[in-house]
Amino acid sequence: MNRGVITYIAGRFLQSVMVLWIIVTLLFLLFRLAPSNPLASYIDTTFTKEQEAALLARFGLDKPLGEQYIIYLLNLARFELGDTFSYSGKSVLDILSADLPNTIYLTLSSLLVAYGVGVLGGILMAALRGSLFERVGTTFTLMTRAAPTFWVGMLLLTFFAFQWKLLPSAGIAPAMVRFRWETEWDKLLSPVFWRHMILPTFTLAVYLHGLPLLLMRSNMLEVLDQDYVTMSRLAGYSEWRVMIQTAARNAMLPVLTALTLGIGYSIGGNVVIENVFSWPGLGRTLVRAVQQADYPLAQGAFFLIALIIVFMNFIADILYSLLDPRVGASAQAQVS
Amino acid sequence: MSRKLVSLVVLLLMLLVFALPAASQTSGEMVPTIIVHSVTQAERPIEYETTRLVVENMRELGLEVEHRAIPWAQMIDEIWFSRTVDSAVADRPFQMTHWRMVGRPERSDPDEFTYNLFHSSVRDGGYNFIGYNNPEYDALAEAQRVEVADKEARLDIICEAQTIIRNDMVNAYFIHPLTPQVVNTSAFNPDSITTQAGIGVHNFWTWIGIEPTTDDKTLITSTTSFLNNFNPLEIAGDAPSRVTEMTWDRLMRINPIGVAEPWAAESVEWEDPLNVVVTLRAGMKWHDGEDVQSDDAAYSFEAALAGTTQTDEDGNESFRAEAPDYYPFARNVDSIEIIDDLSLRFTLKTPSAAFETSSLAKLNLLPKHIWEPIINDLLEQDDADVNSIQEEIPIGSGPFKYVAYDVNEFVLLEAFDDHWARPKIDTWLMNVLPNQEATLGQIQSGEMNFLWEWPGDPGVLQQIVDDNEHLDIFSAISIGFNYFAFNVRYAPFDDVTFRQAVAHTIPQEFIIDNIFNGLAAPADSFVSAALEYWRQCDDLPTYDFSIDGARELLASAGYSWDDDGRLLYP
Repeated sequence: MNRGVITYIAGRFLQSVMVLWIIVTLLFLLFRLAPSNPLASYIDTTFTKEQEAALLARFGLDKPLGEQYIIYLLNLARFELGDTFSYSGKSVLDILSADLPNTIYLTLSSLLVAYGVGVLGGILMAALRGSLFERVGTTFTLMTRAAPTFWVGMLLLTFFAFQWKLLPSAGIAPAMVRFRWETEWDKLLSPVFWRHMILPTFTLAVYLHGLPLLLMRSNMLEVLDQDYVTMSRLAGYSEWRVMIQTAARNAMLPVLTALTLGIGYSIGGNVVIENVFSWPGLGRTLVRAVQQADYPLAQGAFFLIALIIVFMNFIADILYSLLDPRVGASAQAQVS
Repeated sequence: MSRKLVSLVVLLLMLLVFALPAASQTSGEMVPTIIVHSVTQAERPIEYETTRLVVENMRELGLEVEHRAIPWAQMIDEIWFSRTVDSAVADRPFQMTHWRMVGRPERSDPDEFTYNLFHSSVRDGGYNFIGYNNPEYDALAEAQRVEVADKEARLDIICEAQTIIRNDMVNAYFIHPLTPQVVNTSAFNPDSITTQAGIGVHNFWTWIGIEPTTDDKTLITSTTSFLNNFNPLEIAGDAPSRVTEMTWDRLMRINPIGVAEPWAAESVEWEDPLNVVVTLRAGMKWHDGEDVQSDDAAYSFEAALAGTTQTDEDGNESFRAEAPDYYPFARNVDSIEIIDDLSLRFTLKTPSAAFETSSLAKLNLLPKHIWEPIINDLLEQDDADVNSIQEEIPIGSGPFKYVAYDVNEFVLLEAFDDHWARPKIDTWLMNVLPNQEATLGQIQSGEMNFLWEWPGDPGVLQQIVDDNEHLDIFSAISIGFNYFAFNVRYAPFDDVTFRQAVAHTIPQEFIIDNIFNGLAAPADSFVSAALEYWRQCDDLPTYDFSIDGARELLASAGYSWDDDGRLLYP
């Protein structure tokens, strides 16, 4: 690795930290400026002024805004996300760390399906350019890309879960099974868990597969015009070998970048699917936290999502500089 | 001549004196724009639609009316924390809002609503957010608390209180919701399902009495809200409350017709209006196998009373309860004396007719061996109270015990074999299911067999019951009610005639038939028709839907209209 690349990565890292700082500041301000009161979930006929003051004091909401901000930043730096307003005896980290794995499993498996189908489909469409298959396929992909995920999810639920009773409709497992899991491994090794994952994964994949498919297709078409592909053909390799080994390998690069970014964005974007399928993940907790004006929990969830997105962006940048030496070199030219 | 002149001058002076205050107020001025609050359509469509309709009708009176629909969390700021000009968090104090009170078993005694909604002492911070201040009413609200022995005398007071509120029209009640619930009657015997007055079929008596018709003795239900916590000293929303009342016993319980009856107590005997002796049933066990004894019962109240008195910089003393949610229900207890292993005597500070309903039938019995160390530990900390406590597997003495739960997913209970009233089902499961369509799908497919909570359109439930032979709908009039609340501190709602006129613009029947699809009962008071005993009053004043009637009423009080039809103050 040359000096340019290192400087480039260090620069990117600093940039990422700045972006995060801006995000957390915005989060902090947004929640406090938003016109909703965190005591909303506490109001009861027996509620008194003293109780109100005690509650505000308990969560530190009686302190000046500036002081709250400093406390918040210091805690974040130590990754202390605080206590939630609405769950007793649990910290934000407890809640989110229970949710995050579920979201990650769902995201990764649907990305896997989506990119698997997308890449293969893209190659096939490029290979069969102009055919009926390509035309129908492209239209179909655009349609699935445009269909709202909650609608697709509900359709799948109606048919597969309720009409034909083939697949479970909600959650990650029936409670009877669920409560016997003690570790994350018990969950991952349970076939019940994977059965529950089929519908949400498929719904998400229907939406996600469009991007890699169309990207792969257009990259392939571009690559297929290149001299080295023509050379391979002239060398007498079979058409499939030309397609897969020569063209596809080169056309894949932008798709891989899209995948890295996709992981980040999908983790934050599962909100709708998680609600439709009652999937206990980050997105569902986020919605709930916002509804309840549970500042610490909502901030924590947004922070975690932002962190993942910024981190995946950072990874994508590094990948780029490693895969394409020109990126690092131009960066060096800029800084020196 | 001079006598005539003098009398004329006197007359003129008198006229002037009487006319002046009226003139300096608002005579002939236009009634300003009125803002009516409600939650958003997305949040609760029924409330939004009702408000929209009433706002339309109010405009017919010559009023400029704005419908302000905002999320519930924001309503708290604009209503609850915006009562007076000085204290308003929003730009100005609220004027009129849609509001609702929900039914809970302990609300089947009229005390809570009679006192907390209207007594002038809870005007600034408590539930009398409308600012009602009527010494005559205050006296009644206090008197009904003291009338322990004579239930009929108390009924008279409650009736008088209802009449005053109805006449003064500080809250325009219009419906008590019917709570539609759906049960899979091929899985359960429908005759074993109990309807509790004002609550519905999802109540303690159903949970212990419901008989499975097959070998699968599991009841599966769901909630759209989350199961935040299971803590016997915290009131944490509707769904968790349903669960805590099953797993922690109480000395008394509200029976299906709304009256407190001895439960974990074998007897409750009043020696005089201040002293009551409670004797526990023999042989009760905690879920961990220990015996339930009178010192546990005493500690359950002591824990609710525990707290520290703090003095701030200005020397003001304030009391910080460790269990702020339950402290109000125990506060009237002066002392508790343990007589023997099973009996104890409560001495009250003041006589209280509602003590059985709102204290003995409200506080959960706690195992002293578990909670004493927790409370003692909390008393030494300044910044924590019981709301931060969650037991790993909570221990109570109720007919159901905890097997497992996950805050975002489910709670699983099992019948407690050592309980004297062991339920007929073996397992009780509540799943968290935020998606209403999934709820409907599950009850139809049989994945779920008891649907107790339905925030959506009631007509949809009726439809699926018509389509599915194995499903039956149950509905009961709620103790809760929907109404429009007026901020009576400020014009124009400080004028009783104006409020009465607005009440005439609420098309009660139309709302019930069209917005609630018939699943609501007409309301005219804060005491629900479900509480039959407390409604044995002479007829309350009625306010029929009539725009013309409302206009006549306004005209007779001196209101008039300008050329554009805008309403003017008298």
